[in-house]
Formats: sequence, C-alpha cells, structure tokens
Amino acid sequence: MHKEAAIRQPLILGDKNYHDITVDVISPIENKAPKAWYLLITITGLISLWGLGCIVYLISTGIGVWGLNKTVGWAWDITNFVWWVGIGHAGTLISAVLLLFRQKWRMAINRSAEAMTIFAVMMAALFPGIHMGRIWVAYWVLPLPNTFGSLWVNFNSPLLWDVFAISTYFSVSLVFWYIGLIPDFATIRDRMTNPLTKKIYGLLSFGWSGRAKNWTRFEEVSLVLAGLATPLVFSVHSIVSMDFATSVIPGWHTTIFPPYFVSGAVFSGFAMVLTLLLIMRKVMKLENYITIKHVEYMNIVIIVTGSIVGVAYLTELFISWYSGVEYESYAFINRFSGPYLWAYWSMMICNVISPQLFWFKKIRTNLTATFILSIVVNIGMWFERFVIIVTSLHRDYVPSSWSMFYPTWVDIGIFLGTIGIFFTLFLLFARFFPVLALNELKTILKVSGEKYKKEDH
Amino acid sequence: MASNKKYWVGLEELHETPGFQEAAKNEFTPESASVEEFLAGTDLNESSTNRRDFLKFLGFGVTAATLAACETPVIKSIPYVNKPESITPGVPTYYASTFFDGTDYGSILVKTREGRPIFLKGNKKNGINKGSITARMNSSVLSLYDGTRLKNPVAEGAESTWTEVDDAIKSQLASISASGGTIALLTGTIISPSTSRAIVDFRLRYGADQVRVVSYDAVSNYGIRKANEMSFGKSMIPDYDFSQAKTIVSISADFMNNWLLNTQYLPDYLKNRNPDAEWMSKHFHFESTLSLTGSNADHRAAILPSQEASLVLALYNEIAKRTGAATYSVTTEGLPTEAIAKAADSLYSNRGASLVIAGCNDPHVQIVVNAINALLGNYGTIISTEAETFVKQGNDSDVLNLVSDMNAGTIGALIVYGVNPAYSLPNADAFIQGLDKVSLTVSMSSWADETASRCKFICPDHHYLESWNDYYPKTGHYALAQPTISQLYNTRQAQESLLRWSGNDVSYHDYIKDVWQNYATSMGGEELLFDDLWFNALRNGSLSVAEGGSIIEPTVNPESLQAAAASIGKGSGTSEGFEIILYTKVGIGDGTHATNPWLQELPDPISKITWDNYIAMNPADVEQFGFNMHYGQELPASVAKLTVGGKTIELPVIAQPGQKRGSVAVALGYGRGANQENIGRAAFRTKNYGGYDLDQDGKLRPIGVNAYPMVEMKDGVMMYHSHGAKIEATGATFPIAATQTHHTLMGRDSVVRETTFAILKSSPRSVYNPLHLLAVHEDGLATKKDVNDVDIWNAHPVEGVGHRWGMSIDLSTCIGCGACVTSCHSENNVPVVGKDEVRRGRDMHWLRIDRYYTSEQSLEKATAEGVGVIQAYREMEIAEFDNPSTVHMPMMCQHCNHAPCETVCPVAATTHSNEGLNQMTYNRCIGTRYCANNCPYKVRRFNWFNYKAYAKFTEVNPAQDEMARMVLNPDVTVRARGVMEKCSMCVQRIQGGKLAAKMKGEAVNDGSIITACAEACPTDAITFGDLNDSQSKVRAHENNDRTYHALAEVGVKPNVSYKVKVRNV
Repeated sequence: MHKEAAIRQPLILGDKNYHDITVDVISPIENKAPKAWYLLITITGLISLWGLGCIVYLISTGIGVWGLNKTVGWAWDITNFVWWVGIGHAGTLISAVLLLFRQKWRMAINRSAEAMTIFAVMMAALFPGIHMGRIWVAYWVLPLPNTFGSLWVNFNSPLLWDVFAISTYFSVSLVFWYIGLIPDFATIRDRMTNPLTKKIYGLLSFGWSGRAKNWTRFEEVSLVLAGLATPLVFSVHSIVSMDFATSVIPGWHTTIFPPYFVSGAVFSGFAMVLTLLLIMRKVMKLENYITIKHVEYMNIVIIVTGSIVGVAYLTELFISWYSGVEYESYAFINRFSGPYLWAYWSMMICNVISPQLFWFKKIRTNLTATFILSIVVNIGMWFERFVIIVTSLHRDYVPSSWSMFYPTWVDIGIFLGTIGIFFTLFLLFARFFPVLALNELKTILKVSGEKYKKEDH
Repeated sequence: MASNKKYWVGLEELHETPGFQEAAKNEFTPESASVEEFLAGTDLNESSTNRRDFLKFLGFGVTAATLAACETPVIKSIPYVNKPESITPGVPTYYASTFFDGTDYGSILVKTREGRPIFLKGNKKNGINKGSITARMNSSVLSLYDGTRLKNPVAEGAESTWTEVDDAIKSQLASISASGGTIALLTGTIISPSTSRAIVDFRLRYGADQVRVVSYDAVSNYGIRKANEMSFGKSMIPDYDFSQAKTIVSISADFMNNWLLNTQYLPDYLKNRNPDAEWMSKHFHFESTLSLTGSNADHRAAILPSQEASLVLALYNEIAKRTGAATYSVTTEGLPTEAIAKAADSLYSNRGASLVIAGCNDPHVQIVVNAINALLGNYGTIISTEAETFVKQGNDSDVLNLVSDMNAGTIGALIVYGVNPAYSLPNADAFIQGLDKVSLTVSMSSWADETASRCKFICPDHHYLESWNDYYPKTGHYALAQPTISQLYNTRQAQESLLRWSGNDVSYHDYIKDVWQNYATSMGGEELLFDDLWFNALRNGSLSVAEGGSIIEPTVNPESLQAAAASIGKGSGTSEGFEIILYTKVGIGDGTHATNPWLQELPDPISKITWDNYIAMNPADVEQFGFNMHYGQELPASVAKLTVGGKTIELPVIAQPGQKRGSVAVALGYGRGANQENIGRAAFRTKNYGGYDLDQDGKLRPIGVNAYPMVEMKDGVMMYHSHGAKIEATGATFPIAATQTHHTLMGRDSVVRETTFAILKSSPRSVYNPLHLLAVHEDGLATKKDVNDVDIWNAHPVEGVGHRWGMSIDLSTCIGCGACVTSCHSENNVPVVGKDEVRRGRDMHWLRIDRYYTSEQSLEKATAEGVGVIQAYREMEIAEFDNPSTVHMPMMCQHCNHAPCETVCPVAATTHSNEGLNQMTYNRCIGTRYCANNCPYKVRRFNWFNYKAYAKFTEVNPAQDEMARMVLNPDVTVRARGVMEKCSMCVQRIQGGKLAAKMKGEAVNDGSIITACAEACPTDAITFGDLNDSQSKVRAHENNDRTYHALAEVGVKPNVSYKVKVRNV
C-alpha cells in the first residue's frame, strides 16, 4: 500500500471508517431532501425558465433582440460562452491532470468538479448555438455528407475547430465522469431498499460487482481517459482563444492567447469549484472530507494561474506598445482609458490584484474570504472576456464605425438563465448523485485518514 | 340435422337449367370486368390487373389526391397572349424621361422590368445634368408605389368619380367666372411649355382677367430674380457655367445640392476639380452652417448669417480696390478679412473666369454679387447674358397677396397644383384660414396632404413616372417626360384636368405634340420632319437647340448698387440672442419627399443623422448651455425650445462642428402630416417595437418639426435667416439615430489620405502617398518591403487571370452627396430599418459614406507640447469646433483578395470568386457574424430581424407593403433573417454584362458593366471595371500615384482603391 509521510496533513478528518464514508456520502440521497433544497431549486428553476423564455424569444424573433450592432457582432453571447467553457476547465484538470500527478487530495473534489464541468460545458455549448442567426441550420457546421452539392465545412475557420474541440471535450469529460460514478452507483444500489430506486441505480451502475477484475478495468480505463483528457484540458481553451487570435482585429490578433486563455480557464474553474464546494461542504456536512487543506490547495492553484493571467495582461500591454502598430497600441490604450475602462479595471482588480491576497495564509485558509474571492475571480474572468471581445470590436480600424455596446434585457436574461440552469443541474446532482467519489476516497482512508495517521504514530 | 337442408339461389338452380349451369361455371360475366379491363375494353382473361393491383391503384389514387390537396397555394403567372415588343421577361427596358419636382431637375433613365419602373439613373448622354442626379431623384421611384397615394378623385372628403368631380368643378368655375369672381391657380415653378399653354387655355376659357396664376417655391430664390430686375431690368436667373470657372466664391449657396439647377452645376464644377489635370479650380465658401458644398470647399470660413451682406460688400470693396472702382463703406468687424482678401486675390487674378454666387434671398446682397461679377467681367463668360434658367420662378410677394386676398374673400376659386402651401408657406395658418373663404378649392395633389385634405375637391395627379410632360429648364434646352408604367390608380394628369375644365378633351400627350409642333421651327429647323424630331427627343429625353440672343446688358444699374450698398452699410442693427438659419437637407429637401423611407434613412451627409431634424449648434455653444455634447445609441440629445419672431419650436440640439458660434440651423422639410394627413406610411414616428408612436391624444406624431413658419418675410421676400432667436433648455432629451457617432480620424493615415494641390504637383509620391513598408528579415538581414509584396500565403494568382473586378474611388471628387447610397438601396433591395434600429447601430446600407472632421489635436502636436498619449487620444476624438476640414469617404465591401471574412466562416458561406469578388452565399449562411467581426472595414450587415415581415418594420420597410414591394429588383434576393449581407459589387449586373457580351461574341468592354453606385455618382468619383483589362479606366486609376488601398498594412489586398484627396489651398 501507498505510504504517506506523517508530516502531511490528513485528507480525511475525523474518526472515519469505510462505513462512515458510505453513510456520509449516500445519506443525502437516501434521506428526504431538506426544505432549503426545495427552496433553492424553485428559485434556480424559475431563473432557468426565465432564461429559456428569453431563448425562445430570441430564436423566434431574431438576434436583434440582443444589443449587438454592425460594429460589435459578438458581445455577451461569446463572452458567456468563453466564460462557461473556462469554468468547465477545472473538473477535467482536477480529475485527469491531478490523477496523472497522483495528487490524492483531488479525490474529495473531483466528482463535483467534474459534474460542474459537464454542466458548465453544456451552458457554454448553448451560446454558439443560439448566437447563430439561423440555428435551424446549425448542423451545417458538422462535416456531414449532404445533398446540397459539394458543400463542405471550412476547415480554416477556428469556429469549426471550436465545434470539434468542445464536442470532444464534452464527450470525454462526460465518459470520464460517468466511469467514476459506476462503483458509487453500485454502492447506492446495494443500500437502496425501494425497489424502483434500486432498479434505477442498478441500471446506472451497469452491473458493477466490485470484483477485482472490475476494479482493475476501472483503474485502467480511468488512467486511459485521464491520458486522453489531459491534452484536451489544454486544447479546448487554446482553440477557443484562436477564435480571436487568428483574426485581424487589434486586441484579438495576439499569439499569447492560447496559454493565457488556458491559465485563465483553470483560474476561473477553480474559483467556481470553490464557490460550489464551500456551500456544499457546509450544507451536506462534508467538512471532514473537503477540508481547509483542500481549500488551501485550490487557492494556491488560483494564485499561480491568477499570476500567469496577470503577467499575460501586462505582456499584452507591453507588446502593444513595443509592436509600434498604431491600431494595436490604440486598442490597448482604449482598453484602459477608453469608454470601457471600468470593465478593464474591474478585470484588473478582480483577476490580478484580488488573488494576490491568497499569499497570506490567513486569507487562503479563511473560508469566508475564499468564498468571497472565488466569486470576485469569476466576476473578473467574465469581465476579461467582455474586455477582450467588446472593447476590441467597438473601436477597431475605421473610426467611423466605432460604437458602443449596450446589453438588452434579453442579453441579461439569457446569461442569468444559464446560471439558473447550471445551479438547477448542480442541485439535482447533489440530490441524486454521490457528490464525493466515495469508493475512491476509501482507497486513501488508510493512508491519509486522520484516524489512521494517528494510529500509525 | 341442421346440415342436410338445401337452399337454392333460385328456381334456376333447382331445375338446373342449362343457362344456370353455364353461368355457375363462369362466375364473372363479361359485364363485371376489372377496372382496367372496363376502361381498356379488352378481354378479362388478358387483363393483368388482379385484386392486388386494384388495391395498388386505389392506394396510389388516394395518396396522389391527398398530396395534391397539400400543395402550396398556387400563385399564377399569366403569360402574355401577345408579347409586347419591348418587354422580355428578365430583360430590363430603359426609357428616357425627365425629373422635375420644383427643386431638382434632371434628365433620367428609367429602368423597367416586366413593365415596372424599378430604378432611376441619370441620362449621361443627353440633358443638361450630364447624368448627374441627387438622392432625392433616384429615390423618387419608390413614391410611385406609395399605397397612400389617392386612388380616386375626392369630392368633399369622399371618393368620387372623374365625371362627377369634373361636372361639379366645371359648373362652379363657370358660375364664379360668370359672376366676375377670381379664379386663382396656385402652382410651383412651371417650366413645362405645354403646361403653360394649358394654363393659357384655361385662362381663355374662364376669362384672362379673372384667372390669376400665382406661383411660388417652397424654398424661394425670388431674391435673385428681383435683384436681377433691379440690376439689369429683367427678372431672370442667368445660366451659370461652372465648367469654365477657375475661382468660385460661394456665400451660403449650397450649389452642389440645393441651389437652382444644381444637377447642372455639379458636373461642371467637378470638371475642374481633377487633381491629375494641369490646374484645379479654387473654391471659397462662406457660410453659417456646415453644408454639403461648404464641406467640399478648399477654403471655408464660418460667418453669422447677418454678416452675409457686409461680407459681400467687403468682398466687393476688395475687388474694387484691385480694379480701381469706387468702394462703399461697410463694417468689417468680425468678418474673416483674411479669407476675404484671399478670395478677392484669387477672383481678381482669374477675372473673367471666376464666379461669385450667394444663396441669400436678400436682393441687396444679390445686387452686390452681380456687381462683383460685373467688376470681374464674369458676365458673358461664366454667367451667360444670353441664356437664362427657368427654375425657381416663384414670386414671394404674389403668393402673400393671394393669401391676403383669400382672407379678404375676393378669391372665388383656388386650384392648387404642385405645391403644398398649407405646409410650406411661412404664413400657412393664414392660408388655411383663407381657404375657408374660398368657395371652390381644388387640389391636384397625389396625396391628401396638408393642403389637399383641406380642399373641397382633390383631383389626384399621376406620379411623374406615369405622366407625359415636357420641360424647358433653360434657354435652348427642351426635355420630355414619358410614362413608364400605365397608371396604377384612378388618377389623372393635372394638365389633363385643366384641359378638361377648359373644355378640351384631347389627351395631354397629343397636346404636348401639338405644342411641340408649333415650336418645331425654333427647336430643330424646318428641314427636319417633326416626327423625327419628336422621336429623337423622346428617345433621348431631351433636345438642345441654339436659341436666343442677348437678354441683358452686364452693367449693374449704379443706382440699385448704391441703394443696396447703402442699405448694407447701415448694418442690420445689433441683435440679441441667436441667429437662425433655415436650410434644406440633402435627403428631405423642401419636404416633398419626406415620406420616402429611403430618404429618411439616408444619413445627412454632414451630421450622419437619419429620420429627424434638429437644431445644429456650435459645440462651444452646446457646452455653454450644458446640453448633451454627444449623441449615440444611449446618448440622447437635449431638447431645446427655440423662439424666434413669436414662433416656438422644440427640437433636439446637436453639436455641429463648423456651425458659426452664436447661430443655429434648422432644416426645413420636416414635420409633415402634423394634422394626421395620410401622406405616407413612413411619415410618422414609430415606436421602438413597431407601430406608430402616438401622442397622448392618440394622434400620429410627425417626424421632426415644420420650420417653414419661421421663414421671415422681409420686403416681400422670404428670408431663410433671422436673428433674435431665444434658446431655452427644456430638460427633456430625445433619442437620435445616427449612422456614425465618432467623427474624427484619430490620426489614421491609412484610412484617409489628403494632400494639397501644390504638394501633389511638386512632390514625389512618397510625400503624399507613401507605400506601407514592413520591416522583414530576408537572408538574415533586416530590410523593409512594400506590404503588398509580403505574403505568408500561397495566394491564387489574381493579376492577369480572367476578370478581376475592381473599383476606384476618388476622394477628391467625392462630395458625399449620398446619391450612391440610395441608388444602392434601390438596386440591391436593401431593407429600411427605421429610426430605432439605426440608433442601435444596425443600419443596413451596403454602401456608406464616412465623414471625418479634423481635430485640433494630433499625436505629433501632443508630443511637441508634452501632452500624454492618453490625453492626446482623448482630445483627438473631439472635432475642431469652429471650422473643421471635412472629408467624405464612401466605404463598402473592399472585396479583399486576402479577405479575413472568408477564412473564418465555418460553413464557407462567404468565398472568393475567381473574378476577385468576395461573394456572400445567403442560403449557406448560418449567421455566426464572425465575418463581420473580422472585417477591418466593418462593412458587413447582418439581418437582425425578418425585415420583410416583422412588425417592427411594417411602417418603414417598403418590402412589407403590397404595393411598394413592386419596386424590388427581381435580380436580387431579399435576404432572410439571420444571414449576413454586404456589397456584392452588383454581381447581378456583372453577370448580366458578361452574358450580354457572350451573346454578342465579344469581350466585355470597359464601361459596359457599371455598378449602381458608380452609375449614380454625379461626379464620377466611383469607377468600376476590370483590373485585369490593361485598357480599362479602373486599371489606369489603380496605376495612378494618388491611388492607395485603405488599411493597406493589414495586408488584405482589396480590389477597391482610393485616390488621395486633394485640396487646392
């Protein structure tokens, strides 16, 4: 068995045994949901319905219900898209990259982080769909054999790469997540007394029997999928960034974008994981599994990626000056001193300055501070995408076309709607799915469990 | 037991008759054959149809019937039984005709498709306008299909028939005439010889003394006629020959769009504005508000309207000093003396080949102008002493007298033709009151407009495209207008109405021919057969003949000059408050076309504002009042109350650079339909989400405010400026829809390039049009290369392979008039989107004209003065307040050879043709808008809504009107919601031209294919052609030293090029 240095802090606190873990994770599924859950899902459900209503209005009336104009052809739609894709980065990073790096602390958070990833990518995928003028022919972006003549997609277009990147990422993440869920579903199945739920979890668990053969295969598939998913973590956001980087618009046409976007994505993903988990551990009483140590680790990732992002911002500024291109330099001068300077400085404060507070151990181990900062970071990351998209477009080459962008209630409604849908899905997940990878957790109980650590010494 | 019973079918079976036995063997008799058998009449045994086949047939039959029932409604196209000779479906037919609406005059060609006029262009071969037209003219095709035109004559507010109306009018006229009453005929300027004769006939019928003919112009130039009468003894307007003028000094005369025969002056003026020629004319302009003409002048100085008179006299003095003539005393305080001296120098050195004109309606000013021209010897060279211009014959005092006579009750009948006095008279209220005192009032208007709706009878006139007419715009030039479509409604040509009432049943066509027959001698000499002359004139649309002899002596009556100078010398007296200028806009003009959505959506060439009029005020004054300086989507303008001469209007205030401080300008022509007249769907304000914006009483709100009541009557002349205006803030704001909300170039040299004539002639290209050099590494060495030679792609060869369509736009000759914009609108079925969408930055114009002002700040200046770069850029956003120099730049799809839009489309909906066109495939487009984002020129337009059906656009978009839809060009798709569109370089015309050349078996000749914008351009600033044709004009332009590509350093290699703007300063 794997041995761990005694000096390392335990990952599972309290006097837990295998059974305790099972009970702690599965009891929310077995017991009646608390009133708060119903209250929350009603609220998020209503917001979702409002968002869906806005989408129906958008599709039935036209893109003109948004605030876009002839100069700014993308604004909140693609901002939201990139924001959600970015958020969707943490899950796979945690489950795949940290798996490969044998970071055991990921086991307490990977399940919910992956769920969040799936839901975030779903929200993200919504926007490229509904931002199309003619969504009913959206399938034309797929290289399908067709009867329209020799029509084929344009493989030069980064938007097409997006289609492949996002769909691949989504399917791999989904499979990876589901594979992890199988043994846990089996555990639930075994504990269920109601024949219907037993049947459902039985179906979901694909007849898992817990034999050594099952476990070997499980481990192998996890490793293979982790290997597959790891490059995806980097490719998806790199490709998303190429939507901008391959263009000719000053402020978009930047070679720094792929790494800058990936670190930004990890940055926002971890922030969203923190936002969700800090609530979840409290409400679902998982403090023993998702410990201060976990929070601290994640905060460290936030400092690192936040700093990378900060360096990227400064590099952009430097290059815009150093390039000597008048359009490029104006684009950046306009960012920090033009009509959208409030967005730029919101971004700078939220993304560059606020995560630096995590250098203080007191702050990075303080749950309230972490919770607030995690939200601040995601606000900042939303502004980052808004700044990149809108402030680059609104004043590009020809001054006669310079304009402003003003969102309409539909822009706002759809964005809020996706947040509603996202939280609705997450609430359903928390209610019906095992929120921790309980069987995986059990593998580290005797290595990193507080009780066993104490016993060893 | 039960089974042994036997039942018989009949006795035949019981008795087993042979007949029965036979029948039993052969169950199916020949009569009961199968369906097929039955139909085919063949023998049953040979039939191939069995029961199963029958079911198949039945099934097929039922299915077929069902499917047939599901078919979409059939819209029948009925073929011609006898094909008219001139109409081939799909092939346009052009008719030469003439446009005259009291403001604009011009020879035009009407393009008809399947019998419908759908497009207008200038007649480049014939006519005094040499193909030049205005936006108002080419948009007028839309008004033909206006569904709000009257469909029947109207009597006492109810639809009637022509016989009833004629009988009633004739009997009333006869009784008025018999009782000695006065019959007044109130018309606009009539330049039609046949109409004039019809009026003469009418007068003869009802008594020459009793019929009083009064004409007036909504925007009057009576002052010029009056001044000429005082100066030379003849009330006339001479013919001006701009083509010979080396120096032109204009004092507020907007001769490029709104002054007399502007369609004639503009091409003549532009003849000498070619920087590639030996010399270029010099144009000085003094005015109070920045006009189209002023924005194109070499030197422009802003003055107060009240200073016009003293400026003219000061200019006279300057010239007089040089020629040694007597000077007059005048105060030069506050005048731009330097500019006046400069202008005088230029005028004097080009004496005999210069021209001074003034827009002011004050006869005193015009007399001094005449004197200046006489001093300079311009009469007989630039200003004709033999030919006169017949437009603007209105007599301001006559119409005033008529209104007072109406109120005095001495007018028995009033017939109104071609004018809208209840709207456009300064004393419209008095006119309306007077109408009640006239027993018979008849209007010939096509609409139940402000005047017509108050008349007892409306005898709706044809649209001019349905009419015959003739014109005599200036000495020696005759023109014909012919119908291009049979009348759409039960209307009747106004002249025919007059003829009917005079008891003449002849058709107006025959009447014109008769008139022309009488004129034939003077027109073409006796040796010509009249039919030849007639058909020639009809085919060409016009006819020029040598006519006349001297009509004036070019010596200004010294007494009149003395009097004028004395009056000016006295000064206008000190005035408090603001001075106000009333002007006409390029789009709306005098208001005749105010209901035309194309013109409402045409951005004003200067302010770029659509769908509104406003108070133009200098930015410094705006600042002082604390009004909103900027307008934009969510930046509404402040509303101010403007009071002058007891009249008050409320309008939004716009900061207009170039407007003289202390003065404001308001456009005429707005506020039509204030009394709910049914004058057109696009005439009224609409709500943000469709439907009309009603006021609290549930009434339609007109667009803008009518400023005609502010026209001041001075000594029997309408004056378009007055002083003592009071401006107060109301605290309210009003949304403004402008297509351009950023007004300066931000020092971007590669967008617009500008130089002076002196530099152009004395310097190499690198000074005024340097190449973009890119720092590159070659063979390990850093070097600089022309950006066009740097390429990371293996590009398709474009030079010398097949056609390569391209365009050259000369910024020097483009005046920004917008005729190309409406022409493109008309040719390419561009949707009209209305004020709210324009405000949201979603105008759909495929071709726009960018207008830039200079700023006082520049990066160079900032560096020299130590101003920080952020501050410098902020200051560069602000246009010079007092006298910015202005540049107009038409911008449309540049058809880049390395198009950034093409690479990013995920479905390859926008692609490059092998002829250099950037093509947009509408039905492949999925609407990601990525292409529009990636376009450096921002020329792509997205269909945000279903413009042809969505309720928001019902009032504004002609494509939603049953009738107006007929104006759509059948060669161009009406785009669906959610797809991108943009300039196609009129690909339908290119294809048509290539096909025509192929049919003839020859190569495509240069000039045989021309885009709508190039065709409309009155100054030939746009040249279209094949860049691979070494002999083509566009190739010659491309090789010119002045030619550059906008944003060349981006490396997109456009097929559209620009030529550096040159000012002769």
